[in-house]
Amino acid sequence: MAEKKKIKVLVTKVGLDGHDRGAKVVSSLLKEAGMEVIYLGMFQRPESIVRAAIDEDVDVIGLSYLSGEHLIFTPKVVDEMKKNNFVDVLLIAGGTFPAEDIPIMEEMGIDKVFRAGSLTESIVDYINDHVEE
Amino acid sequence: MKQTHAPTAETTSQGDWDDYIKAYYEKPASFKSWSGYDLKEIYTPEDRPGENYKKNSADAGTYPYTRGIHANMFRGRLWTKREVVGIGSPADTHARLKYLSQQGGSGLNTIADVTYEMGLDADHPWAIDEVGLTGVNITSIKDMETLTKDIPLDKVSWSLITASTAASVTMAQYVAVAQDAGYDVGILRGSIQNDPIHFRYCGFRPACPLDLSIKLGSDVMEYCTRNMPKWYYTTVNMYDLREQGITAPQEVAFGFGIAMCYIDELIRRGLDIDEFAPRFTFYVSCHVDIFEEVAKIRAARRMWARLMKEKYGAKNPRSMQFRFAVHTAGCSLVPQQPYNNMIRIAYEALAAVLGGVQSLHCCSYDEPMCLPTEKAHLQALRTQQILAYETGVTNVADPLGGSYYVESLTDKIEEESLKVMNQVEEVGGMEEAIRTEWLDRQFESEAVKRQKELDKGEKLMVGVNVFTTEQEKTTPLGVQKISSSSAKQQVAEVKELKRTRDMDRLNDAIKRLQDDANDGKNLIPAMIEATKALGTTGELLGTVREVFGYPYDPMESIESPFNF
Repeated sequence: MAEKKKIKVLVTKVGLDGHDRGAKVVSSLLKEAGMEVIYLGMFQRPESIVRAAIDEDVDVIGLSYLSGEHLIFTPKVVDEMKKNNFVDVLLIAGGTFPAEDIPIMEEMGIDKVFRAGSLTESIVDYINDHVEE
Repeated sequence: MKQTHAPTAETTSQGDWDDYIKAYYEKPASFKSWSGYDLKEIYTPEDRPGENYKKNSADAGTYPYTRGIHANMFRGRLWTKREVVGIGSPADTHARLKYLSQQGGSGLNTIADVTYEMGLDADHPWAIDEVGLTGVNITSIKDMETLTKDIPLDKVSWSLITASTAASVTMAQYVAVAQDAGYDVGILRGSIQNDPIHFRYCGFRPACPLDLSIKLGSDVMEYCTRNMPKWYYTTVNMYDLREQGITAPQEVAFGFGIAMCYIDELIRRGLDIDEFAPRFTFYVSCHVDIFEEVAKIRAARRMWARLMKEKYGAKNPRSMQFRFAVHTAGCSLVPQQPYNNMIRIAYEALAAVLGGVQSLHCCSYDEPMCLPTEKAHLQALRTQQILAYETGVTNVADPLGGSYYVESLTDKIEEESLKVMNQVEEVGGMEEAIRTEWLDRQFESEAVKRQKELDKGEKLMVGVNVFTTEQEKTTPLGVQKISSSSAKQQVAEVKELKRTRDMDRLNDAIKRLQDDANDGKNLIPAMIEATKALGTTGELLGTVREVFGYPYDPMESIESPFNF
């Protein structure tokens, strides 16, 4: 099999939310699935996230939200991506969201939302299927 | 309906009925407890040879309190039905408190939001976006006045959930409001979470440097010991540790390790163990494995009694009694098929009550989706009320005591918890385990194990890896929205307060706080005065932080407005 470039994923918290168990677990398991993962950690702002994504030239940005801040920060992250013309990237989000917010998040520019209770396989498969060669 | 856990298949030509037929032959997927212990088919007297009832169990109300801290348990008084509340502004939160009190809640319980826990004022640049999203921000005494408006503080029992170093400010704000209203603080009843050490693991590391956590946490404990004899001044938070993904014995062992950090500091300050240990309480998780959770609680009671008596030389029986509140496990709930959460919560609450809980918060079913709606909050309270008034579980103390299985599992959890406590000792004690990030590594590896158990189907969870269905389009009882206008109003009020207060009075009060911090004094009295002088959460904590060599602002984006 030909050597395939590893998919590069940036996983990050946004704002003050401290629930980082999920973001860390997903980071570990994406690594085990053969991806390169940069876990940016807590206390990130839209600017620092997009800056890091550009610097690392990632294929995927994964935002972790568990404190109801998703509708506040998502448009800011998307705006920052547009401002930097860094849009050719998969933008996914994970965490705790009411069902009603999922179409809103998709409208805002999230490609796929993974709620708490998602199995790792569903995330890995989605990324593998949607990151362009 | 998809079933990933397939039992021995019986082939049939009946097409659509295959699943039905397979299900008939089904066996459980595993015979392990939630924490992973192999369980036997049946437990008998032979599982506990040489059982010494008086030494290891004893009647409820008798050392080592395995069976409960009161002889008559719920016959004397039901547990406190204390639902956590923290939504939007202090006024929004006050309104929800009032609603729950009208519905039969018996204890007030308010929770700080992320901004307050981080020690940020509502007008801090990092706070403006998030104020009120996960609880309530008390920036100044004015907010505390709004929160406590018309509530008879001398009669209610109030649980203040601020865990970080900001708990010292919360205590000062509560005392200041009570004093201003003319109450004798010596008669106030309630508790404050005040466990900054554990809170570094909940994302608040910048607000909770280890030395400052021990210092301010212990200041609250010392102040309350001397001035507020009815106040429980720490709720060592084993629950949040468990939510990291660890096992039941790890929850007990790590929680006790953190408790001992405070105890050792208070003893170092010259307090006698029996002066303060009776006011120690714990916040315990109840996960979904009913028997293991009951066993964990029973083991924790026995271990705490022995630790206090044997290691610390306590003589007062109250020092040896493990008093605890339960928060049903938020991490056991999922947004898939959300009604199922009500059932999980009910089982977890049952475990708490069978374990002899003092105070209970049932999660609302919408925990993995949003803050509780009023309807969801009410349902959680009703879950407690059905347990308390309909099921008969309140009649007898420790109803599972004497079960060969539960007694064996209690022994097992005790044995495993002691092993973990020894591991902590081997790495140099809890403070060292924290400093070297040994504890972080335990949390991270356990959390990955938990996810793999679900991924591989070793643990089953309905709606997650078995009996999955299409994602729901709506949340059954609606979605709790946080009013952005009340957040904006709170920010505006804080700005106005900062513009109009008496700066001379405030400067004097902040200077005294700074001096007391430099002199190594207990900081709560100076914080109370600074609060009354309209000093804010960020200002009080920032002043103390600078004395300890930390940046004024944990987010390092603003400077101290004080210049002495």
